[in-house]
Amino acid sequence: MRASLERNSTWPVLTAMALTLALSLLAVAAPLRLPEGQGFPAPFFPLIALFVWSVRHPHFVPPWLIFITGLFQDLLTGGPLGMWALSYLLAFAIARLRSTEPSAREFILLIARFSVMTGIATLVAWIAGSLSIGQPADPTSLVTEAVITLIVFPAFCWLFARKRERTTFS
Amino acid sequence: MAQWRSARQGADDAVRFSRTLLLMFMAISAILIAADRTEDRVEAVTVFRAAFNDLSIPVLEAAAQPLRGLYNIGPWWRRQIELAGEIRELRQEMSELRAWRDVALNYSEQMRRQQELLNLDPPLPRQRITAWAVTETGGPFVRTRLVGVGTEDGVAPGYPALNIYGVVGRTIDVGARSSRILLLTDLNSRVSVMADRSNARAMLVGDNTDFPRLDYLGRAPDLQEGDRIVTSGDDNILPRGLPVGEAVLDRNGAWRVVLYSSATPIDLIWIWPFTPVEAPVDEAPADSVPPAAAPPQLGAEPEQAPASDTDVPVVGASQNDTGDEPDSGEGR
Repeated sequence: MRASLERNSTWPVLTAMALTLALSLLAVAAPLRLPEGQGFPAPFFPLIALFVWSVRHPHFVPPWLIFITGLFQDLLTGGPLGMWALSYLLAFAIARLRSTEPSAREFILLIARFSVMTGIATLVAWIAGSLSIGQPADPTSLVTEAVITLIVFPAFCWLFARKRERTTFS
Repeated sequence: MAQWRSARQGADDAVRFSRTLLLMFMAISAILIAADRTEDRVEAVTVFRAAFNDLSIPVLEAAAQPLRGLYNIGPWWRRQIELAGEIRELRQEMSELRAWRDVALNYSEQMRRQQELLNLDPPLPRQRITAWAVTETGGPFVRTRLVGVGTEDGVAPGYPALNIYGVVGRTIDVGARSSRILLLTDLNSRVSVMADRSNARAMLVGDNTDFPRLDYLGRAPDLQEGDRIVTSGDDNILPRGLPVGEAVLDRNGAWRVVLYSSATPIDLIWIWPFTPVEAPVDEAPADSVPPAAAPPQLGAEPEQAPASDTDVPVVGASQNDTGDEPDSGEGR
């Protein structure tokens, strides 16, 4: 009975994950009709989506999925190919050096861990992007995006944690 | 199967995260970054990008539609006030432009007559290709737009892209149904420009800031703040006379350009087909040149006198200036 329930719950999770990742990628690349130079700094939505799913269902977020998500972001935004893929992979690799994973209810720990990952991803993206264009890039917009990511993340985390509690006790 | 699945689900805390795969994908990413370097981009990467753009363009266009719709939903009264203001400005501009239209018609007629006198046959102006931007990227590394037209619509790499105010950039990564526009503000953008007033030449260099800088101006450039900057066509990348922006001095005393195209969202884009003037063919080897012994005949027709290799650049230059040049009067 339990196995049957688990089998039934796999596909909705996979579908939801694919949808959220696709939406997060579209949100990063979508045109906001803003004059050039006043572009709205979009948060790292794909990183948020990957992180949330990696906490909820770690075995559904293997390295290849992180790689593909990063690669799609590079392709959609026209950025240096492999830049976000490498950034996300390194961020997840370093974040997973800790032996124990914080559970979904450890709100502060989750935010702290995500902050570290965002910092690593930003730094790696800046280094990789600068290498790609052959000169140090102005990090202002990248840092701004990282800060906005950290500002919006608790909302996603809170929604996620509340959902987790409800499913745990039901 | 159920047992295997349960074992995996039970192992949520002991994460299955293959380090071998992780290292492998990190290595692939590093290789991709190296292959996509601006200085020496691998051709396969360009082809791959164009193919991906072709596949993703329907999804991106569908995603852009609701955003365009949302943008148009605004407070009704604010829109009315804005529209009333715009109408006032447009009426004033229209009355000023009537005078300019007469001047343009005069020049056009004069040019037509001169072309007739010189027996020139200017090529027909080509149709512009209209496209909507479906992605918008800023950031420190790249400033591009993706549009839903490609080789099937007549787009080729290097074509100039404009919005209603001026030059936006030029096409790169052209696929069958998609193209990427490299904006003038992008780090990789280099366009030769000149001041409309003084013909002072410069190179417009994008540096991923909002105001690209003017390089290679010389020691005492004849440039003033507010000078209208247009493409010079010297680089044979963009045609001559396209409106670019206005010259301004920054805090450090360096010349920069406030782009006309930044006055409005880069959303609707026109792509102008432009064929660069081909470089003159290498001169024929000395042994193939006919001996210069034959003296010019005194009664020769004047049309036969000029050598053919001097004719080629002149005809080419006129094609560049007149045929493919979009209406530069669209600037403010």
